[in-house]
Amino acid sequence: MVAAAALLTLAMLQASPAILVSRQLAARAHLKVGDEVTLATEPNGGRTATFRVTGVYEPTPDPMRFTAQRIEARLHLPDLIALAADPRDPASAEAIGAINVALTDPSGARAFANDVASTVPTVVVRPAADMREGDVFAVIDRFHVAISIVTVVGATAFLLALMLIRAEERRETIAVLRLIGISQRSLLASVAVEGLVIATAGAIFGVALALASERLVNAYFQARYDTALVFIRVTAPLALRSVAVAAPLGVVAGIAASWTLLRRNILSLFRR
Amino acid sequence: MTPADPERRPPIVDVQHASRIFPMTAGPVAALRDVTLSVHSGEYVAITGPSGCGKSTLLHLVGCVDTPTSGAVLFEGRDVAALSEGDRSRIRLTRIGFVFQRFFLLPMLTAAENIELPQSEAGAPLSDRRLRTRTLLEYVGLSDRADHLPSQLSGGEMQRIAIARALANRPALLVADEPTGELDEATGDHVADLFDRVHADGTAILLVTHNPTLAARASRRLTMASGSILPC
Amino acid sequence: MTPLALAWRTTVRYRARAILAIVGVAVIGALLFDMLLLSRGLLVSFARLLNAEGFDVRIVATQGLTRLPIPDSAALAQAVRAVPGVADVVAIRAESADVRTDRGSRRVTLVGRSGTNANPWRLVRGPGLTDAASPAACEAVVDRAFPSAFGADVGAQIQVTALPSGQSALPAIGCRIVGIADFGFSASGEHTVATTMAALQRAMGDTREGDAEVILVSTAAGAEREAIVRAIGRLRPDVRAYSNADVVEQFDRNGFAYFRQISVVLSTLTTAFAFLLVATLLTVSINQRLGEIAVLRALGIARQRIARMLFWESALLVGVGALAALPLGGVLAVGLDRLLRQMPGLPEGLHFFVFEPRALVVHLAVFGVTAAASAAYPIWLAARLPIAETLRREIVG
Repeated sequence: MVAAAALLTLAMLQASPAILVSRQLAARAHLKVGDEVTLATEPNGGRTATFRVTGVYEPTPDPMRFTAQRIEARLHLPDLIALAADPRDPASAEAIGAINVALTDPSGARAFANDVASTVPTVVVRPAADMREGDVFAVIDRFHVAISIVTVVGATAFLLALMLIRAEERRETIAVLRLIGISQRSLLASVAVEGLVIATAGAIFGVALALASERLVNAYFQARYDTALVFIRVTAPLALRSVAVAAPLGVVAGIAASWTLLRRNILSLFRR
Repeated sequence: MTPADPERRPPIVDVQHASRIFPMTAGPVAALRDVTLSVHSGEYVAITGPSGCGKSTLLHLVGCVDTPTSGAVLFEGRDVAALSEGDRSRIRLTRIGFVFQRFFLLPMLTAAENIELPQSEAGAPLSDRRLRTRTLLEYVGLSDRADHLPSQLSGGEMQRIAIARALANRPALLVADEPTGELDEATGDHVADLFDRVHADGTAILLVTHNPTLAARASRRLTMASGSILPC
Repeated sequence: MTPLALAWRTTVRYRARAILAIVGVAVIGALLFDMLLLSRGLLVSFARLLNAEGFDVRIVATQGLTRLPIPDSAALAQAVRAVPGVADVVAIRAESADVRTDRGSRRVTLVGRSGTNANPWRLVRGPGLTDAASPAACEAVVDRAFPSAFGADVGAQIQVTALPSGQSALPAIGCRIVGIADFGFSASGEHTVATTMAALQRAMGDTREGDAEVILVSTAAGAEREAIVRAIGRLRPDVRAYSNADVVEQFDRNGFAYFRQISVVLSTLTTAFAFLLVATLLTVSINQRLGEIAVLRALGIARQRIARMLFWESALLVGVGALAALPLGGVLAVGLDRLLRQMPGLPEGLHFFVFEPRALVVHLAVFGVTAAASAAYPIWLAARLPIAETLRREIVG
């Protein structure tokens, strides 16, 4: 009898279709694996179906919705259609929003997309790796680049000012060197090297600072918005790009700041 | 005005067994050792000695720019070391005039403005400042260079402006550190003449110099060596 | 000579570095100013767009962004009209449609509105929709760019085919253009055709009156909007009513977080950057002029006066830079706004960078504090300067 009842319960439990709930939904509704839940598609609670929670998942972070509470669930497609299709519209049981395709050879994505688009012209087919011109993240990327350019321009002005002060401090030293016959080319080379070293060292320090703050920033925002999204990632190409931008700026700043001292009459450099 | 017998007047500055030791990484250096010196009102004192004998250090103590490690420096009866930096600053402004070897004019101010600066700090009204500045420029013979920047003046002219600046607030004591050190002989003589005139007008002078000709003009000459004043 | 005059003279003497420092502050300041504009720009712009429509309360079927029909929307609209303080009510439904003209066919948003005097668009040309037209006739109001894109202006006939689920076998209906209007939330590059609810239902092939997706309510002057929202909630607990302030608050919480966060982060970084750079510049400058400072102290110039002079040096560099940052920031904001508005689906009238007096006040306050803070260390250096040692070093050096 007990065994029969257990079997019956098991059968009843197994009769409810399975769903996965997001970690956030599970936390909010105090759900755990094995719980039964009822989903309704109408605001007044109509059109319901019962499901069994078979797992809790971490939603794939969506940068477009990182502030949204990811209160969501995943169903098998037939269950979703059965739950949500409009009974007045026979076609709604046949319609889906999107089809994701994983290719055995991902490098053929574009060719595959072209083939499908030409075969079924009423659908939009797009390789997942594509970033369209008007894509939100392409726009935000350009925005970030614009901000970076402005920052670099401002920093360059200050760098020039500082190099000017340094050059002025060494005015008499430069005068003595020129007096004893050191060529202007040698002096220019030395200030260029100095500028290069300072700028490169500064850029490397900046990258180190970025790496140190990367973990802090990500930890803060992930906690703040309850998301697994990574907000900052310092990559090797990015670090190299930073150094590559800073280095020539340092050289140019060093040379520009010392230019007049190297071209002026030597004796005038001695006068206070 | 003519100088009366200086020995009868109270000393403007009274250095009593003053020593000054500088802590260095290689070990402490005694720049001054047990120096005693008085400068009275109207006196013209010159101190000579080799480089590094402590002349400038002594000048800095007398000028209230520094304080002794031991001993005392009394300026017009007040222990300089016991005063606050604000009080010492006030003394330097109103009772002492400084003349430096390298002139140290402010490069962004004209000759007249350099002379006016200490008066402005002392709170003199604008009209008084302007008048005093004109008088001093005439005194040092540079009325026509009032609006020139230091970079437009020769070494001798800069030093004369520096002397005028030192006299701006009618100090009791003029302190000069190698005032002709960066000047040629002829220019140095002109500056020396100016010091004579300042002394004749009643201002006490304490100067440090390598220049024997300048030192010879003083009414009292002292020699220093190894941080001490040598007995006469 | 006042400390300010001394500071001015010093700045003029070292004009090359001063100009560069001012340029640096101006550029960084422009960025800071823009981040202040960005911090609430989207929100302010969104609120302005909402309020410009002329409606104060919105009724939808559900919480959130999903568009669902409001059950019995006609009856609800009628009932809401009777709520005290309500001036006008309009029910809206939107569908995708194709419009065909001589130039070809293009996708538009077809908007149907129930009979009312008020419209959620601003008519700029033409007589507009007249609800007195016969039920068989279809009048349409189109967006500003429509005539040039479709080659059809006021008076022209267009063929409208509704596309309720992307594909459609519905017959086209002929509509006559009766007006050109600004649709506040119409996205750049997209077109809107507005008509009566009856015409839209005909285009959709609806045989019965369909339900609106949103009901817009305008309130009478002096009416309390929150009270109207509560009254609607009592009338129909199954729908959601929001005042414009509620909508703005929701978007503030959910929609604009990225730009608010980035504006906070960049504002903080640029302020720190400006402080660091000006402080470094002043410190290096002071270190170069220690002899000058020592001479001033030796002459009896008080520490406080020297401190004020150094503060004014900082204030001149930062102050002039901060003021120059304002027009520069304005130009930069126009460029950045244009860049960000390339995002797809953004309403034409929405802007990211919007000027508020508050931004100007914060900008000036931040730089005031930066000027003072930047001068702090150089002032401390100058105040603690050993005069005798510095003079000795100057002579020997």
